[in-house]
Amino acid sequence: MSQAQAEIYDLGYQHYDGPRGGRTQAFRSLWVNSFRTILGLGRGGRAKVLPALMALFVIAPPAVLLVLAAMLPVAEQVSHADLYTLTSMLLLLFSAIIAPELLIPDRRNRVTTLYLVRPLTAFDYVIARWSAFLTVTLLVTLFGQVLVLIANSLAAEQARAFLQENWLDIPRFILAGVIITVFVTTIPMAVAAFTERRAYAAAFVIAAFVITTPMSGLLTTEWCESSVTFAVENGEVVEEAGAEECRRVTGDYAKWFVLLDVGRAPTHLADMIFDDDTPDDASILVAELPPAVPIAWYGLLVIGPGALLLWRYRRMSI
Amino acid sequence: MSQPLIEAQNLTKHYGKTIALHDVDMRVRAGITGLLGPNGAGKSTAMKLFLGLLRPTAGAATVLGEAPYDNVAIRMRLGYMPEHDCLPDFLTASEFLSHMAQVSGIPPKHARTRAADMLRHVGLDEERYRHLREYSTGMKQRVKLAQALVHDPVMVLLDEPTAGLDPAGREEMLGLVRRTGQEFGINIMLSSHLMGDVESTCDRIIVIEGGSIIEQGDVSEFTQETETFYIDVDDRREELIAALQDLGIQSRIAGASVAVRLRSEDQLDDIRDALAQTQARLRRLAPSRGELSDIFRRNTG
Repeated sequence: MSQAQAEIYDLGYQHYDGPRGGRTQAFRSLWVNSFRTILGLGRGGRAKVLPALMALFVIAPPAVLLVLAAMLPVAEQVSHADLYTLTSMLLLLFSAIIAPELLIPDRRNRVTTLYLVRPLTAFDYVIARWSAFLTVTLLVTLFGQVLVLIANSLAAEQARAFLQENWLDIPRFILAGVIITVFVTTIPMAVAAFTERRAYAAAFVIAAFVITTPMSGLLTTEWCESSVTFAVENGEVVEEAGAEECRRVTGDYAKWFVLLDVGRAPTHLADMIFDDDTPDDASILVAELPPAVPIAWYGLLVIGPGALLLWRYRRMSI
Repeated sequence: MSQPLIEAQNLTKHYGKTIALHDVDMRVRAGITGLLGPNGAGKSTAMKLFLGLLRPTAGAATVLGEAPYDNVAIRMRLGYMPEHDCLPDFLTASEFLSHMAQVSGIPPKHARTRAADMLRHVGLDEERYRHLREYSTGMKQRVKLAQALVHDPVMVLLDEPTAGLDPAGREEMLGLVRRTGQEFGINIMLSSHLMGDVESTCDRIIVIEGGSIIEQGDVSEFTQETETFYIDVDDRREELIAALQDLGIQSRIAGASVAVRLRSEDQLDDIRDALAQTQARLRRLAPSRGELSDIFRRNTG
């Protein structure tokens, strides 16, 4: 019986003659890499904790509502705008921590050099990283809003009728979601472009938002006074409450100072989109301004940091 | 004659008032070309200009027949190994190379195969699933070379590939560079401040200093041109130098020897006569193949 002889050949170096995707392939692979980095895929358990917490915190409130709506015969309805007000600060907090992971390790390890000598421009690099971050954040945000929609329809007497009546909420919460997630992803990315330490970037963003909220609150505080008049009736002193008069610390300028709370900039637009009928104090003040003002303020807060981010990478020496 | 891979005409780069490169003309043909010069000579700036990462202040360059500045397409055909560390320590070599291949335009399936092949070629086959943070300096240098080659470029630019390596690691790296050029058929431009690296690896050399090119040509031309004889004598060195001078031969003291650059073989008879005339006691008379360091001596005095 003959036995075939096995041989191992060293083929040496083989030139690559397969397909080359060029710039589009390069962009796509960086996008996928960013997406996986954000979710901690292909990394250890610690890398997955933060994205899991973000999803949990953003999705938990509407999930609880959904369970209540399913279990209780009549449940309270929650507005999409309220959920955005509740979750936007949480999103910002998580974004402040996650964004540095996308940019700082590349710069600190000087891997950025290797990206920029490949078929990618600095613009492609930044957009790929940012758009992957935006996608993850938007998906988490919209998932919460879909849960609210389902919960509200279950809480209504007739779910079908509710959806027919409120179908416009869907494009509204998508638009508001895009506005909020563009905001919460752009600013932390821009900050992360200017420091080599992840903790500094996260702390700066969180501190900026934590400081501006009470600052704006202080400057827009409302004081109410009611006058009391005394009259003598039938020989007795009678106390009569007069009209209540309210005024703000900064008077008519309060509606401008409310904009100082930069974390609320996107939710003011969300309130405008939903035409919220239960506005909070800040929303009432913003409503006194021409609609172009909060829109322009939001634009400035997004375009400014976005331009800085691109400029930083365009000017980066490698 | 085939089109040069890199061609520069009056290429100039200023950083503010600092002149990094001044009026550089060069033609780089296929093969391994060494860019030799001390630190700060302008080697890295030249490479960045060829990679299209910098805009020239004046002059122009073409790489693979195209203007490189902001030319994204050309980078699919170029590879670059930077001098500095550039590896993400949290990835394995296999993951990193596969990702770099994909970012160079190669689809994921092919990228994984290319990554494995390249790690085998640089001798890291067994180590490919280890995290890069666990690699030694020599291994990291080899991964840096592998990432520059993973997309099978036409030409690769290696910036100080032996930086930080011990003598054994340096020899290994230079061996890999030679294989890349000779066996893989990939054209190389290698920058170094070490003459030995360039001399033992390159076919051609461009000597650069202070942002200007001092000389360029085949390495063999330089070393042949600078063929030197060393004369070791126990005494009367000054008399010997004077006698050689009288016979029209320029010489200099080199360590314990008198070094003479020969113009023709006839001059060996003159050396014999000078030794006989001065009665200097001869210990050794030996030819020594010239070294590239002679170029610097010649040009910098």
